[in-house]
Formats: sequence, C-alpha cells, structure tokens
Amino acid sequence: MRRERKLVGLAMAAVLLGGAAFARSQDVATTQSREQELLAVLRSETPESEKAITCKLLAIYGSPAAVGDLAALLGNERLASWARIALEPIPGPEADAALRNASESLAGRLLVGVINSIGVRGDAAAVGLLGKRLADTDPAVATAAAAALGKIGTPESAARLTRALATGTPDRDAVAEACVICAEGLLAAGLRTEAVALADAVRTAAVSEQRQAEGARFAVLARGGEGIPLLVELLRSPSKRLFNMALFTAREVGIPGRRDATLAEAVDLALVREVVAAKPTEVGAERAMLMIDVLADRNSDGAGKVVQLAMLDAAAAGAKPIRLAAIRALGWVGDAAVVPRLLTIAADPEPEFAVAAREAIGVLPGEAVDREIITRLKAANPTTLPTLVSLVGDRRIGVVADVVLLVDHGDAAVRLAAIEALGAIVDLPNLDVLVRKVAAPLDEAEGVAATAALKEAAVRMADRDACAEKITAAVAAAGAPKAVLLEILGDVGGARALAAVGAAAKSGDVELQDTATRLLGKWMTADAAPVLLDLATSDASGAFRGRALKGYVRIARQFVLPDGERAEMCRKALAAAGEPADRKAVIKILVRYPSAATLAVAKEAVALPGVESEATAAVAGIEATLTKPAG
Amino acid sequence: MQASNNQLRRRAFLGRGLAAGAAAAVAPVVIPSSALGLDGAVPPSERIRVGGIGIGRRGEYDLGCFLQQPDVQFVAVCDVKANRRAAVKGIVDKHHGTADCHTYQDFHELLDQADIDAVLIATGPNWHGLMAMLAAKAGKDIYCEKPCTKNIAESLVLRDTMRRCGTVFQAGTQRRNLPHFAFACELARTGRLGAVKRIYAHPAGMRAMTSGWLPEDPAPDSAVADWDMYLGPAAWRPFHAKTLEDGFNFEKGGGLVGGGVLEWGSHCVDLCQWAVDDCPPPVDYAPPVNGEIVCRYANGTELVFREQGWIPLGSCPVRFEGETGWVEAGDSGKIVLSSPELMAGRKVAEIGGYPATFHVRDFLDCCRTRGKPKGNADAACNAHIACHATNIALFLGRPVKLDTETWRFIDDDQANRLRSEALREPWRL
Repeated sequence: MRRERKLVGLAMAAVLLGGAAFARSQDVATTQSREQELLAVLRSETPESEKAITCKLLAIYGSPAAVGDLAALLGNERLASWARIALEPIPGPEADAALRNASESLAGRLLVGVINSIGVRGDAAAVGLLGKRLADTDPAVATAAAAALGKIGTPESAARLTRALATGTPDRDAVAEACVICAEGLLAAGLRTEAVALADAVRTAAVSEQRQAEGARFAVLARGGEGIPLLVELLRSPSKRLFNMALFTAREVGIPGRRDATLAEAVDLALVREVVAAKPTEVGAERAMLMIDVLADRNSDGAGKVVQLAMLDAAAAGAKPIRLAAIRALGWVGDAAVVPRLLTIAADPEPEFAVAAREAIGVLPGEAVDREIITRLKAANPTTLPTLVSLVGDRRIGVVADVVLLVDHGDAAVRLAAIEALGAIVDLPNLDVLVRKVAAPLDEAEGVAATAALKEAAVRMADRDACAEKITAAVAAAGAPKAVLLEILGDVGGARALAAVGAAAKSGDVELQDTATRLLGKWMTADAAPVLLDLATSDASGAFRGRALKGYVRIARQFVLPDGERAEMCRKALAAAGEPADRKAVIKILVRYPSAATLAVAKEAVALPGVESEATAAVAGIEATLTKPAG
Repeated sequence: MQASNNQLRRRAFLGRGLAAGAAAAVAPVVIPSSALGLDGAVPPSERIRVGGIGIGRRGEYDLGCFLQQPDVQFVAVCDVKANRRAAVKGIVDKHHGTADCHTYQDFHELLDQADIDAVLIATGPNWHGLMAMLAAKAGKDIYCEKPCTKNIAESLVLRDTMRRCGTVFQAGTQRRNLPHFAFACELARTGRLGAVKRIYAHPAGMRAMTSGWLPEDPAPDSAVADWDMYLGPAAWRPFHAKTLEDGFNFEKGGGLVGGGVLEWGSHCVDLCQWAVDDCPPPVDYAPPVNGEIVCRYANGTELVFREQGWIPLGSCPVRFEGETGWVEAGDSGKIVLSSPELMAGRKVAEIGGYPATFHVRDFLDCCRTRGKPKGNADAACNAHIACHATNIALFLGRPVKLDTETWRFIDDDQANRLRSEALREPWRL
C-alpha cells in the first residue's frame, strides 16, 4: 500500500488517492467500488492533472460503466490521450461504440487518436466508417484509417485497402503498410489465398521499394515452397533493397532442421544455384559472398551434401572474397569430409586463405574431425606440423603426450605452436612443462607464449592447490620471473595460492610486495581478509599498509558475509585505520548493512577521532532502519 | 521449454576473434577489399551512412563507438533540443573533418534522408520503440538504446515490425558482445552446467515509477526545445523544464508499472534469456518475497531477481546454476566458475567496463550481411516481456501467469489491461 501511494505521489496525484485504499484485488465488488471512486474524481472540479492520473487507474478498474465519462473527454485536447488510455482496454461493445461515435464528430489529431484506438481494439464493426475515412481530406486521418483497417485484418477491410491501393488515395505507402499487416491477419485466420493476393498487390504496386520489399517478403513466406521462385527473383533483383530483403527472408524460410526438410533443401538449392551463377563482377562477387553467408547461417547445425560440395567448389577457385566466404562457411556447413581440403588450403601461401581455413577447421563439429587431425599429426612433416599442432589446441584435442614431445622441437614454429596448444589441453601432471618454459624460455617470444599458455591452463585446473603448489615452487627458484608467476597465482586463487601471494607480500622484496598486495586487493574470496589485515597492521615498511587496509575494507563492503563477521571486520578495520577517510569508508559499510552487530560497532566509532559526526549519523540511520516496521 | 526460434548456432557462437579480445564478430566483415584504400581507410562511398536521433549523454558514448569504425559515415543528427543538435553536429563534423552533418528538429526529416542506411536511436525510453518502428518502415537499420519498449504489446509489435520490414535491429544490450558474458551464457545454453535450474538477474531496484503531470513551467520556443515532439507518444501534460532534461527516466516503461526491474533487467534479464537459448520468457511471475522475485519458465527453470548475495564482480551481475555447475559474471569482465574445469581450454578475454564497441561492430556487419545481430529484436522482445510481466506482478502485488502463445495473462483481466497503453494522438504502433 505504501508503495502505491509513493507511486502516485511521484505522479503528483497524491490528492487523487488521498489515503483511500488502492485496491488491487480482482474482486468484483472492490473493483466496482474503486471504479465509482475514480469516476467521482472525473465528474468533480478537481484539476486536470488529477483527472489524468484517474484515467490511468481506470485503465485497470474501468468497466462499461466508465465509458460515458471517458468518452466525454475525447474532445479535450489536454485529456483525450489520457481518456483513451482508459478506453482502449475496457472490454465490451460500449467502448467500441463510444469510439465510433466520437469519430463522427471529431477532426484533426483528436480524430486520428480515436481511429488509432479503434484499430488497436480491432473493431470489425468500424470497417465501414473507416472505409469512408480513407477519402478524408486530412491525410493524417486517411492514413490512420488505413492503418486501423490493416489491424482489423478481415476480408472486408482487405477489400477496402485493395481499392485504396489501386486508386492511390490516401498515400499509397501508408496503405501498402496496412495491406501487409492486414495480410498477416488474413493468414493467421487461415485465408492464405487472400493474404498472398494482398501481398502480391503491394509488391507490384507503385509504392516505395521498402513497401514492395515488405510485400515480397510476406508473399514468399506465405507461399511456402511455392514462394521459392519469387525468392530467386528477389535475389536477382538489381535493386539492393530487394536483394537485401531476399537475404533477410532466406534466413527465415525453411530453416534446415526445422519442420519442413523438403522446403529447406529447396531453398538451399536455390541459393547454391545463385551462388554458382554469380556474375564475375565486383557486385556479383559481393552478392555471392552474402548468399554464402546466408547458407552458412541456415546450415550451421549441419548441412546436406549439396551445400557442402558447393562450398568446397567455391573455396577452391574463383574470386578471392567468394573463396574466403566459402572457406569460412565450410566451418559451419562441413564435417570430417572437408578436413583434407581445408588442410590443403591452410597451407596456402596466401595468409588470408590459410587463416580462414584453420579457423574453419577449428569450429567444425564432431569427433571424426578430431580423429582425422590426430592421424595426420602423427604422420606430419615439418611443414604441416605447426598447423596441425595449432589445430589440436584450437579444437582442444587431448593428445597431451604427443604435444609435450614437441615443446623442445628444433623448429621454432613447431615449438611455439606446441606451447600455445598446451595452454588449451595440458593436464596437471604435465603442467610443469609450461612452468619450466615460463621460468627458462629460449627466447622472448617463447616466454610470452609460455606465460599466456600457463595462465590459460592454470585457471582451469580442478585441483587449484596442486596447481598453485607447482607454480609456487617455481617462484622460489633462482632467476624465475616471480612477478609473472605471482600474477598467475592470483588468477588461480585458492588457499595455496593465497598463502604464496601472502608470503610474497611480506617478502621484503619491494617489487614482489607491490605485485602481491595489488593481487590481494582484488582477491575473489573472503579468506584473503586475515592476510590483508595482518599486512595492514604489521607491514614493517609501512609502504603497503594503506593498500592492504583498502583491500580488507573492500571485502567487508562487497562480499556476502554473516552480520557478525562483517561487523567484527569493521571493528578491526576501524582500529587499524590511521586516517579519518579510511574510518569514514568503514562507517559507510556499517550503514549499508544495518544490524544489531553493526549498530554496536557504530556506537563504538562515535568515540573515534575525526568521524564523530559520521558515526553519530550512522547510529541514527541504523537504529531507524532496525526500528522500522516490516512490510 | 519451447525451442528457440532466434539463435542459429553460428550466430550464438563466441567468435574466435571476440574470444581473443579483438573486435571481430562471427559474420565476416564484408567491406569489399577493392574499396579499401592503401591505408586501409574506407572511402565515403563504401561507408554505412548513419544518422543519430536524441543523442544525449548515453548517445554520445554510442556515437563514439560508431565513429571508431572505419566504415561509418555519420551524416545527420536530430534532436528536439537545439543545443544538443549543435553539440552533436560539432562532434561529428570534427571527427570527419567536414561541416556537412545535417541537423533536424523533426526526426521524420532525418528518416526521409534517402542516403541514410542506419540510425542510432538514443532518445529517452519514451520514444525508443515507436521511433525504431518508424525508422524500420523508412527502410533504416537500427541500433536502439534500451529499454526498447514500454510494455508487452509494444515489445511484440516491435519484433513483428522488424521482421516485416527486414530490418537489422540491435538493442543496446552490448553485454551480448562481451566475451565473458557470452561464455557464461554459452556454458548454460550448451548444457555444460547440466540442466539449468536457476538463473539470477540483478534488478538494481524494483520501484515502480510513472512520470505523471507536473506543474507547468514557462515553455521555451519550440525551435529551442520542441515539447510536443519530446512528449511524442506519451499522454499530454504541460511543459516541465526538469522533465525535458530527464529523458532517461521520462515514461520509462510507461503506464503505471514503469521502472521496476526494467532499467537493469533489459541488460541482466537479456543475458539470462540468452543463457536459456532465447526461449520464450517465463510463464509464472510473483511479487518479491524476502527481497527476491522468483519467476518460472515453462520447464520449471527459475529466473530470480535479487539485490544481494552476489560475488563482487561489478555491476550487472548474472549467475546461472545448473545441475552440475554454476557460473557468475559481472561488469568487471571476470567470471567465477563452480569448477575451473569448465574453462576446458577456452580463452576468454577479460574486458571490463562493458564497452559497446563490439556490439556496434556486430550491428554494422549485420547491416551488410542482413544477418541477425546478437541483440536482435526477437531476443529483445522476450527479455523485455519478462521485465514488463515482472513489473506487472510487482504492481499488482500478486502472482500472474503469462501464456507465451497468446501473450495474455491467464484469468487476470487487470494484468491484461497493463499489457499495453494507448499512444497520444497522432502516434500509433
């Protein structure tokens, strides 16, 4: 109840409800009583602002009994829009009749509004009067009538719209828009022939290309399989707009795997034919590429052989954009059978082709693809080895032992590919391979690759502590990139990593302390709190005390904690804080989480220097919250 | 759960480039190579020509994302406020090194500019849905800020209009093109978490609001600020200076049930919807109990709105729980998993701060291919309906049940009356 009053207060209509019960029950008697209260407001001399909000409420509580009072406002320029808010949803013929009656006497915008509401209500009895309004001298009224007829969507309204489309009165584009909407209504009512006829009338009318395109799309979809020739006609249209609509429609009609397999195959075949027949011009190539993209979308859950073979052919030769599109599409429409061809392309001297082929293999579905790559990996030569190893990583094929053997290969390309692949596939027992590479890389490139791979691998190890143990051991080794390894420990998380990072934070090595305290400051679990508090109170140098305290306060502020635990953390933080600003930050936490425990801490804080007023205000705020009645 | 009719596997895929943090989307970038100059720049004739409508604070951010793209030529701006028209034209002209960005007070004139391919709609939410529909009918593709609609009926008409007009529509739900959110949704959608049982969204407030009729202020000349156009589809009320400056909140959600969970829900619920494969929205909605709103999908999966209990991962957190695992993600760019093994060798770039750059790129690529961007109208429709229905349950203070075939509430006349609201004359959907 309080919430509702606040709502209306926001609407500057508090007087309207004035403490009366704002019942939301569906109980008939309550609703009728509420309606009568609201109607009394409408009939009174209260300001228009209150009558406006009353109309909003009558949208919920109004019945046919309210129609007369609301209809009386339809000629009021300030309140008509509010009155229609109430009238539109009131069920029954009374509201329809009131709107129709109002349409006889109103003009201009107000008449347009009434006609719009007739359309929303789908009042079939209004078809006659709307038909007459199609010839209204006010174009806004005439086009509104057309739109309403479209929404009504009956054969009678279709007949009037068809005539208007032919005569060009009113604005043909507006009528065409209404015709397509009307056609949707006819189709929904099972009148396919009539719907198609109306859409055909639009697509062949002297209207804008946009309207023609809308008519054409509907005509294709409503025809089903018989719409394919029209789809092809659109695909061949010199008009970019019609061609674009064809691409859009081709993504809607007969999607493979959904209901009508015959229709899906027929659409695919039509698209393939258009791709094959594409003219060797820049425009032709661009269009072919776009149609290939449609085929890839349509068949991304698996394609028939016709599509696969067409894409293989297109990938093999021809204009570069078409080849690239086909190679990419093969990743979605292909299976293991296309792997040999894609591997050949992956070795192409043209980098764009090679990269596209590798990416396509990377997304091909199925274990058969993996088996094909494993077989070829075992028989690979130095030229093909880097690509195959990369594919093992891309597809996350679990041949760890085979790849581990390659991290010290004599060919740098193979070494790097192997390290990168291990990032995706290495298991815990073999994690040391990457740790070793991070600690002692052959060169800078290997160090960068190994660091990225180790991070990628470490964060997915199920046994975090075992993983952290291996990395921690490396931190201790002489010459190791300690900060880099600490960063990875921060990503791994868990108790062992926390212990290692905490130890680094107290190591005395300033660079290491800097990294470690930064990591602790954004630690993702609350068990970092004691470590941070320890640093905040015992860091010998004092250099990182402030950062540690902020990290501790962050945990108190952001994490899900029991009331008592959070309050105790705040108590300790207040004790550790050297600056009033830090203490104020802690007091804000107390207010954010009001409880008996935080209230006690706030009361203690009143005695602390520099925060007396904040603590006093916090005590008052928490007490007010705690004493507020529920509900 | 009913099958999704929205996502083709390829379009839902977290592209390699995106996963690695680059600005690549699934669809190929189809700028013809012949159109690229030696420096890789796209000549004006090959660029997508964009107009902006209602470019305020958020719109300026979006505008920046558009201007970063080499194949965008921003050619026109429209605003009911003269100072905003001038300011945005200044930004655009400075970027392109020209002085020919058109300015309009009436958006119809911008939509009539035949050489504009796409529009950025960043007005207040009062105009989002209707403006998008009018732009679609004018043959423009649309990037539309959220929330996109004011009620259930408008959500459905928006979806149908985008289909009917063959429009590429991208809601401003940019988190769909951020790798960590995409990965979290993919884990849920592809069964890696087991059967999904609960998905959580952060509503960031559940308070309903309506803009009402505030005391009249002296109105400026319409050339300075066009109040009638600002009101647009909203019911008439006198000029009010602060309302003019608060387009972000004006008529948000419209009706009596605006605000509520819609502001953040159009992001968080949108991600939750993606996690359940953009299936139809929940069927059962209820008012909050102990600070939580629990909605249920037809298959029993629960959509839970909660303010508290989140792992601190930044704003707009979501959490998906399945039978065998869970994942939580937020605007920091981080994800937290029930088991590290869920990473399964995947690289997921950590991009914090919810940039819209990738989302804009996705939109522009689809403008060329006519493919479906990730924040397409079908997805936006379902997510917005979930928010609107939740708000109706909040407002009525009782459970409501939605039939996702008829889009009507079952045996609840009052709830059904809140599905739509009449537009001020002369506007219509």
